[in-house]
Amino acid sequence: MASAPFDLADLQGDILRAYGNTYACTTYLFFRVDDAGAGRAWLRRLLPRVTTAEPWTAGKPEATLNIAVTAAGVKALGVPEPVIATFSKEFRAGMAARAPTLGDAGPSDPDRWEPELRDGALHVLATVNALDVGALQRELGRLRDDAEHAGGVAVAYEQPTVLLPSPDERGSREHFGYADGFAQPAIAGVEDATDRRIGGGVPEAKGAWRALAPGEFILGYEDEDTRVDPNRKLPNAPADPFGRSGTYMVWRKLYQDVALFRHVLREAAELYESGDHEKLAAKVVGRWPNGTPLVVSPDAPIADFDPKTDARTNAFRYADEDPHGLRCPLGAHIRRSNPRDALGFDGLLSFRHRIIRRGMPYGPPLASEATQDDHVDRGLVFVCFNASISRQFEGIQAQWLNDGNVFHLGHDSDFLMGDPHGTGKMTVEGHPPFLLGPQGPFVTTRGGAYLFVPGMGALAALAG
Amino acid sequence: MAIAEGPSAGPLTATGTDPRNVDGQAICITVFSTVKGWGRLWLPLVFLYARLVPSAHGTLARLSFIHFARWTLVRRLPEQRLRHPHLFFESNFNGGWEEYIDAFSHILTRGMTLFWGSSYGFPTPLPTGRFKDYIKRHEIVASHFYSAYPDATTTIVLSALELDAKLRDFRARTEGMDPDGFARAWDEFVTDVQGCL
Amino acid sequence: MNTDPDRSGQAGALTVLTPIKPGAVDDLRGYLEGLRATGSPLARLSRTHFGRWVIVTDFASDGEREPDRLASPYLLFTACFDGTLDSYLDELCEELSAEAPAIWGRCTGVPQPPVGAALKAYLRAHHATTGFFVAAYPEAEVGQVRHALAQREAVIAFARSAQGMDPAQLRAAFLDQLGG
Repeated sequence: MASAPFDLADLQGDILRAYGNTYACTTYLFFRVDDAGAGRAWLRRLLPRVTTAEPWTAGKPEATLNIAVTAAGVKALGVPEPVIATFSKEFRAGMAARAPTLGDAGPSDPDRWEPELRDGALHVLATVNALDVGALQRELGRLRDDAEHAGGVAVAYEQPTVLLPSPDERGSREHFGYADGFAQPAIAGVEDATDRRIGGGVPEAKGAWRALAPGEFILGYEDEDTRVDPNRKLPNAPADPFGRSGTYMVWRKLYQDVALFRHVLREAAELYESGDHEKLAAKVVGRWPNGTPLVVSPDAPIADFDPKTDARTNAFRYADEDPHGLRCPLGAHIRRSNPRDALGFDGLLSFRHRIIRRGMPYGPPLASEATQDDHVDRGLVFVCFNASISRQFEGIQAQWLNDGNVFHLGHDSDFLMGDPHGTGKMTVEGHPPFLLGPQGPFVTTRGGAYLFVPGMGALAALAG
Repeated sequence: MAIAEGPSAGPLTATGTDPRNVDGQAICITVFSTVKGWGRLWLPLVFLYARLVPSAHGTLARLSFIHFARWTLVRRLPEQRLRHPHLFFESNFNGGWEEYIDAFSHILTRGMTLFWGSSYGFPTPLPTGRFKDYIKRHEIVASHFYSAYPDATTTIVLSALELDAKLRDFRARTEGMDPDGFARAWDEFVTDVQGCL
Repeated sequence: MNTDPDRSGQAGALTVLTPIKPGAVDDLRGYLEGLRATGSPLARLSRTHFGRWVIVTDFASDGEREPDRLASPYLLFTACFDGTLDSYLDELCEELSAEAPAIWGRCTGVPQPPVGAALKAYLRAHHATTGFFVAAYPEAEVGQVRHALAQREAVIAFARSAQGMDPAQLRAAFLDQLGG
């Protein structure tokens, strides 16, 4: 049927609902398939353990398992060329080939990625979320044993991640120190404890909000375009059975130079509001470290703010409350990555570019006041789900993060994401404004992949 | 259950269009469509209305990624007898091809129907998918495209022009001012033009 | 009220459609596509904001009865420029005299050689009048735009460096860098 409710048994888990928040450890284990028959036999062994989107009746499993495949993986598993041709163009090209669109240049150029992370060498991704280290090791052990048993399937790359401790025990933070992981899109047909439509949906006229059509995220369902189509055709999707209950996934390892970010902000803040570097950094992000949105509270974070339960986390707009960016700068990270109604025209320029974000921090935290780099690898494994990588993820990256034109910010890019050439600036609106610079290479791409997450039926067919 | 056709055609460039249509940040689009008989009378009226009523193209002007846009009814060609008139559309814009057509489809919906409603085969502006397919079928790639200021997007040009005028005014106003007065005036000035920087 | 449909403010529009000689399309296309590598000749036409050459091989048909089929492909040349059409054409025929034979020289009905007043008359005759023309900055000439763009960069650089200057330093630096 073209509309929700979802066939939850056919949908893999961790897409509509995040596991990462309740599961402390997540490991991304990439496999290489050297023999199609062996690869498919291996998938058949895994199949019973793959977690679906069905609600848990017997309590939380100690570990969850989800499977995704790259274009190289689809080929390695023996899917015929005419079927592969029905997958999207950018998926088939792979993330490394899309470097110009994504702005992966200079230190982020694919030539400088970790060699194992150029997605031509990555075939199948097993994402394991576990309640604790013991459960994690048990499932990883099973996966490695299965691969050995099958032969012709080898581990290509292992990326462990773990939730960072939060100073106030409330939300989990990422390495720059900001609470992260909330503010997800409201999807029609998905029940949520808090009414996610407010803040998470499409901002409409007169302060109203509407949930997004499920096809923006899950293939085989109507999206924002086809739901107004009198002929009721469904959106572009790969050929059956892949077109049902599947989605595209973006996996990106982003190194964060925490010391550099802190250093630049502290130095720049000497000329800003008597050295208030915490406020200056909040202006860059659009939220205070504890998750308080600047639009809601521009001068100080709200004490004891819990971004996971407080409705104010997400229930705000920009056009009426903050049209000139005096509270939350026009170029702040969260305003760029999800403009809500900031682009005018009742949200019509932004509503087709939403993504479901997952992902986890990796690497140990830098000592809390350190501004000198310790040469330790740390950052964010960015993961998102969308029905169209080019319209949604790439659109955000190219039009909203790597450029400023749509916000009338010239060529300014997202200050938080950094600039490989180190010359950019950010305007912090005010009376008078503050011009923040230089924009160092705060975030560097270490590697990544475009993947497809098959529905359970498609996964069974792939393994057949 | 009909699933729409496979992945979109088109080259893999950051702008979503052929590289020959791109000069720096500037993108060009060229579209021809065949016009039905009644369009011969209708389109000149649409053009006249659009020219005489400024609010009619207010939305178009507010879409800040368009440098220039133009519609022309081609009634005759040298050395060719035409049975139908043809609507020629060209624009110079920035951003991405998809975002550009999305904006025409979602935001200029009525305008699109006025201009293209009399062309053969024109679907409605919404849903976007069918409108995009129609435009793609009728778009012609340029062989050579030139911009006099390829690095500047439309909003940068507008900001620069506004800033230019205000800076000129600032210089005149602060001529001979003492440093303290000047510093205050500078703060006011930069506050006023912060949206242009 | 704007009475000339080929104008928006001070900006003008030119649309010229000329039939391409039989067998010359591929050469013409190759020539035009090669122009970028050596620098666009339109850069010499300093009043040009945007310009393009497009080869129209045929019209797409949509099931109309008796669709128009082009007997030969056409060359479309368009430009958004400053000032009057007449003086722009004068400048074009002057500045593009080296390229015109390779471009319009490959079109039928063009005077030989395709230069000067004869070329101007040919282009003028094949110009299609615009129906509706919208410009984001209708009063700004190319020179003005370029000057303003460079100045904006200078203002940004100055504004960044000005943060933290005392009033005496600020005024001196302004007069030095942005004095005008």
